[in-house]
Order: sequence, then structure tokens, then C-alpha cells
Amino acid sequence: MAALLDRATARRTRRAAPKARARRPVPTLPCLALDGLPQAVLVFDAKLRLLLGNAGLLGMLNVPPALLAGRPRLVEALAAGKRFSPEALRATEQVCAAAVARTDGVEETAHLDLANGLSIMLRLRRIGRCRWVAVFEDVTEFRATESRALALALTDPLTGLANRRVMRERLGTVLAAPSGREAAQAAVFCIDLDNFKPVNDTLGHPMGDALLRAIAGRLRAALRGDDLIARVGGDEFVVIQEAPGPEGGVDAVAARMVDLLGRPFILNGNLVNVGASIGYALSPADASDPDALLRCADLALYQAKAGGRRGYRRFTPEMEARARARRLLEQDLRKALALSQFELAYQPKVNLRSGRLAGFEALLRWRHPERGLISPGEFIPVCEEIGLIVPLGEWVLRTACLEAAGWPAGVAVAVNVSAPQFEEPRRLVGAIGGALARARLDPQRLEVEITESVLLRHGAATRDALHAIRRLGVRISMDDFGTGYSSLTQLQSFPFDRIKIDRSFVQNLLDSAESAAIVRAVAALGASLGIATTAEGVETEEQLARIRADGCTEVQGYLFSRPVGAAEIGALIASLGTAPTPRLPVEA
Amino acid sequence: MSGSLHRIVYCSRNALAGSAASVSGEIRDILALSRANNRRDGITGALLYSGGVFAQVLEGRLDAIEGAFERIQRDPRHRDVTVLQIAPAGPRGFPDWSMAFAGDSAGRSDPATAARLAEALADPDAVGGEELLDLLRDLVVREDEWALAS
Ligand SMILES: Cc1cc2nc3c(=O)[nH]c(=O)nc-3n(C[C@H](O)[C@H](O)[C@H](O)COP(=O)(O)O)c2cc1C
Repeated sequence: MAALLDRATARRTRRAAPKARARRPVPTLPCLALDGLPQAVLVFDAKLRLLLGNAGLLGMLNVPPALLAGRPRLVEALAAGKRFSPEALRATEQVCAAAVARTDGVEETAHLDLANGLSIMLRLRRIGRCRWVAVFEDVTEFRATESRALALALTDPLTGLANRRVMRERLGTVLAAPSGREAAQAAVFCIDLDNFKPVNDTLGHPMGDALLRAIAGRLRAALRGDDLIARVGGDEFVVIQEAPGPEGGVDAVAARMVDLLGRPFILNGNLVNVGASIGYALSPADASDPDALLRCADLALYQAKAGGRRGYRRFTPEMEARARARRLLEQDLRKALALSQFELAYQPKVNLRSGRLAGFEALLRWRHPERGLISPGEFIPVCEEIGLIVPLGEWVLRTACLEAAGWPAGVAVAVNVSAPQFEEPRRLVGAIGGALARARLDPQRLEVEITESVLLRHGAATRDALHAIRRLGVRISMDDFGTGYSSLTQLQSFPFDRIKIDRSFVQNLLDSAESAAIVRAVAALGASLGIATTAEGVETEEQLARIRADGCTEVQGYLFSRPVGAAEIGALIASLGTAPTPRLPVEA
Repeated sequence: MSGSLHRIVYCSRNALAGSAASVSGEIRDILALSRANNRRDGITGALLYSGGVFAQVLEGRLDAIEGAFERIQRDPRHRDVTVLQIAPAGPRGFPDWSMAFAGDSAGRSDPATAARLAEALADPDAVGGEELLDLLRDLVVREDEWALAS
């Protein structure tokens, strides 16, 4: 019964159709043909009036069916559906007008985001002299897939944080936006873990990965949802905060990150402590270009790390100046060896028992063409960092041996050898043998001085190297004794020929009971072990008297002579030389 | 391994400012949330607050207590977290408490306990996790008796 009725209605509708078309501007018949399409389709005229629409127009775009009868303006029909925001309506109207204006038959397209979350692709084309068709296609699913794929390429798969590229792009966008003069536009934080490598090495990579994920979680907890967090290296992170607020607030953010990252982690039953250092810079105060701003933050990070770990620093212009000075120093140092700007000065050591000159310690000097003499304290650490210390150390060995070969037979030369030189023990032993051979210097006249830190660095390998050097006939002394933290243990680990008591003890000898006790104890220790003891930095007669009473075997210091250039050595040897010095009457 | 029973014992310093009343209000909030979360995660344990120092025992599956610990670590309401123990554990020490509580805000202050906690924070080697565990167990039981008696 119901079916019959339906068929009857359908017949009636079909019969009525031609008449309806003539009367109504929006015909239903073509709509039926288009109704099966998943898209919303409409036809409009040059005045942007809606002539025809399909079911999708009612469903997807929610246009009220009643509206279709009266040739409404296209945007009014869409607005009535309430799915279009004012911007989306404006964009639709613009692109429709553009399609109408086109004469070349090319399609116009636009992307629209609807209020209900749908993402729409709109295509427009002329289909007759005064007719255009608009097709609205739901591409929400496609766009989501696309953005997932994009996100995958843009994030660090381990932590889900942004990668360097995204960070750099975001920074560019943030800094390109116009900003007020007063308020900071962006803060950039460079974050470096203090202790990641040992964790990774001792607990293994899976634990290192778990730690990095936990770190990412802590950073998220310390920051706002709209801050960008990126992992830009193994254990390096960058945070970009837009409109960070007053400066104290930025400090608080840095402090919060340092705090949270410094708290212990428990990972698969292991207690793990890392900690982080942070440097930050603000735009536009510190720099307004992305790369410059990142560099500022990085320089601040460098300072934060240098100033003890687990802290944060804001960039200051002095850091830039210091970095520039440091770069210049590096450049100049790389040329200095070739340009023969290094020279050796020699400070005499006097034997307290004989009162005679025992030898000289060779001290490195750098005569900079513009800056004059530069202290070793300034340039030696840089040499170590840039890998110049090994060739420079070899130059010192060669030069000292050559110059010493011209001195009277009983006068020895002592050369400092630094820890990095012991990293290639064979090369070091070869260099010492080579320097001796080239100068034809009796190995007995060469003494190698090392500090405690050398032995601490690589114990066994260094001891082997020291034995090899000793087999060449060279003597070995321990320099700056007492300044390290396990001096006595170090003494036991290698049979040194000499102990040099650090100048700090000698200088405090008369004021500090402790220093006095240490000097006396070391002298006694040397005497009982049969090791010579040299007191460094002796400047006054009182110190000398005390040192002599304590039983040290040698002294060195300004009381006898400051370090002198190679040219003055002859005169110095003549005055101190082979005869007992006036100041040092030979003991009975 | 992550399924077997483990225990974490730590102490930390209170970072809450404000009056004693507002601090105990915060602690009540922490406890309420902890109990709900811990019941969900199969975690039992105890929290002690004395002299500005928290001490807490968390026991449960390793992955569960690590998850809770990591959330607790991100909490700005305390700082200077010192872990005294993370180890496999025998039977639960607080089988009946999703988070038992003992401390100043329960109306009692015990100077000896506060002093011991301060020592644990200053030198984790001086006060072991086991000792703190015993201390907590003792206090919680006494607390219970005290609650029954009053
Ligand atoms: C001293 C202290 C102890 C806490 N103990 C617990 C705990 O046992 N369980 C827990 O879920 N949260 C504990 N919290 C709260 C967490 O830090 C965090 O706020 C909470 O787990 C977040 O839960 P939610 O993710 O359900 O919001 C504690 C917080 C503090 C300061």
C-alpha cells in the first residue's frame, strides 16, 4: 500500500516537473542527477546568484532548502547555513568573483576551513556563457593524513619535539612579525644536558633514549603550551617563547627548566641524575635576526657551562666581545708557530748543597706582534683546545735541547710536558728521542716535568710512557706538587727523580703553619725516598733560610733570577755558574 | 621486571609558601589526588610531612611507580628531591593505604622526626631508605592508633 502510494506520488511529480521548471528558477531535475555526488555542487550566474544546488548543499553546507527557490545571492545562502565564518564567506565571494572575471577557462580554487571543523576544497569553473559551477569537496580526512605525515617529518621521532628545521622556521616567522618597541618579541633558550654522555655510555642507548623522552616531558611541564620545544642535537634543545613578558619572567622560566631537569630521574629501576645548562637571548634587545639571536643564546650557554653547571645565563654584549677576542687569539695562535713568535725563557735552579747552578727550567713565551708578550695562562688552554699543544710541545722540546747543548756540561734543562701530549705516547717518546739526537744533548741533561693531572688522566698508559722516557736516560719530575688532590698516591705510582714543591706553599711558608708543615713534610719525604726536592717561587732570604733548614735540595725563584732569554743565559751562567754563588755559602 | 613489586623512597623540601593552614590545605589536595591516582595505578605507600620536609614511600609495579614518581618530580610544590631507595621490594609495607599520611598537619609535630628528615636531605647516605621506611611505617601505625583513640 505504501509502495503504491509512493509510485503514484513519483508519477505526479514527474508529470509536474516541466511546469515547475518554467516557474521556479532553481530546477529540481538536474539536482537529482547531482544528488548522488559526495560534493556540494552549485551553479551561479555573473551576479553571483545561486541558480541550482544539489543535496550536498543542503547536507554538507546546511543551506536551508527553502532559500533555494528565490535565486538568493550565493553568500547569503551559505551564510544562512551557519557553517561559514565571515572570513570563509569573504574568501568564497572573492574567489567566485575571480572565476567570473576569468576569460581563459582556467579553474579557480580556494581552501576553506568551516566552523564545524571541516576542511573544504572549493573549485570553480565556467560551464556556459553566464554560468559557473562551484564544487565544495570535503578534504578533512586527506588534510589530516597530510598533516600527520608533515608532522612526522618535522618532529624528532624519539621525543616528539620539533626538529631544528621547524625551530628555525618558527623563529623566522616570530621575528618577522611586527613588534612593539618595549616588549620582548621572543626569547630563545639554548639548553644543553650536563651529563648525558656518561649516562648513555654506562647505561646503554635504550636508557639514553628513555632519558631524552623524560627530559622532553619535563621541558613540556616547565613551559607554556604555545612555546616551541625543539631537539636540535643529541642532547641539545632549543626553546622559543613568543612574547615572553618581562625580563624577570624569562629568568624564572630558565630557572624552572634548570630546576626540573636537575631533579633525579628513575628509569627502569635506575636512578639517573643529569642536569642542564641554559643560555638565553631576547629579541629585539639582543638581536632581531634568527641566526644572530640563536648565536647569542648559544654564547650565553657557553658561558653558563663555563661558569659551573646547572645554571642559566642571559646573553650580554661582553660575551660577543669575548668570543671575538677568542676567535682572533685562535687565528693568531695558528700562525704563531710558523711565524716564529714563540720563544723560550729560562729560569735557573740552584743546588742548595753545592750552591751551584743546577740547571734551567724552560718557560714558553709568545711574543704577539701587536699585543706584545702574552701570558701562557691565556694561550696554553686555547692551544690545548684547538689541538696546537702537541706540535707546540714538540717545538719546545727541540728548541730547549738545541739551546741547552750550547751550555756548560753540568747544566741541565727542564721542559714541561702537558697532558694532551701523553695522549699519543709513542709520538711523545719519539719526539723526545728525536730532540735529544738532533741536538746531540746528553739525555742526563734533560728533565721532563709533568703535573699530577697528567697521571690522573690516563694512569697506566702514561706510566708506560714515563718508563719509556726514563729508558732514554731522561729524568722525570713532578711539578706543582701538593696542588692536586691525591699527591701522595701519585708519588707512589711512579719513581720520580724530583718533586717540585708548588710556589703557593713557599709563598705562604712564613705566615701559614700549614704551608710550613707541608714544605717540611715533602722535603723529609724526598730525603727518605732519595728523591730531590725543589722549592719553586723563592723570593726572599727568609724563605730561603727556612727552605734550607727544612732540607730541600734545590731552589728556584726571583731571589736568584727571573726567567731570562736565551741571549742572556751566558752571562747568567757566568755569574751563578760553576762557582758557588755569594749568597749561598757552601755548607760545611 | 617492570611487573614485579618495587619501592621508591625519597624526601624533598616543601616549596609551598603561605600560612600553615594553607600548606595543610595544599597537602590535603595532594593526598586526595594521590589516593585517587594511586588506587587506579595499584600503588600503595605513605607520605610524611614534618618540619618543611616531605618523605614518601611509593610501592607497586615498577612502571606504575616510575610513572607516578615522574609526575611528582614535575610538581613545583616541592624541590630538592633526594632519592633514598629504588629497589625490588618484598611484601608491601603499606598494603592498606593508597597513600597513608603522617605529619605536622595532622596536628602533631615531632622534632626528632623532623631532624632525621633534614639529615636525610642533607646527606642521603647517612639515612638509608630502609630506615626512612621503618620510620614511616612506625608513624603511620601510631597515627592510626592515635586516630582510633581520639
Ligand atoms: C610531596 C608530593 C607527593 C605526591 N604524591 C603523589 C602520589 O603519590 N601519587 C600521585 O598521583 N600524585 C602525587 N603527587 C601529585 C603529583 O605531583 C601530580 O600533581 C599529580 O600526580 C598529577 O595528577 P594528574 O595527572 O592526575 O593531574 C604528589 C605531589 C607532591 C608535592
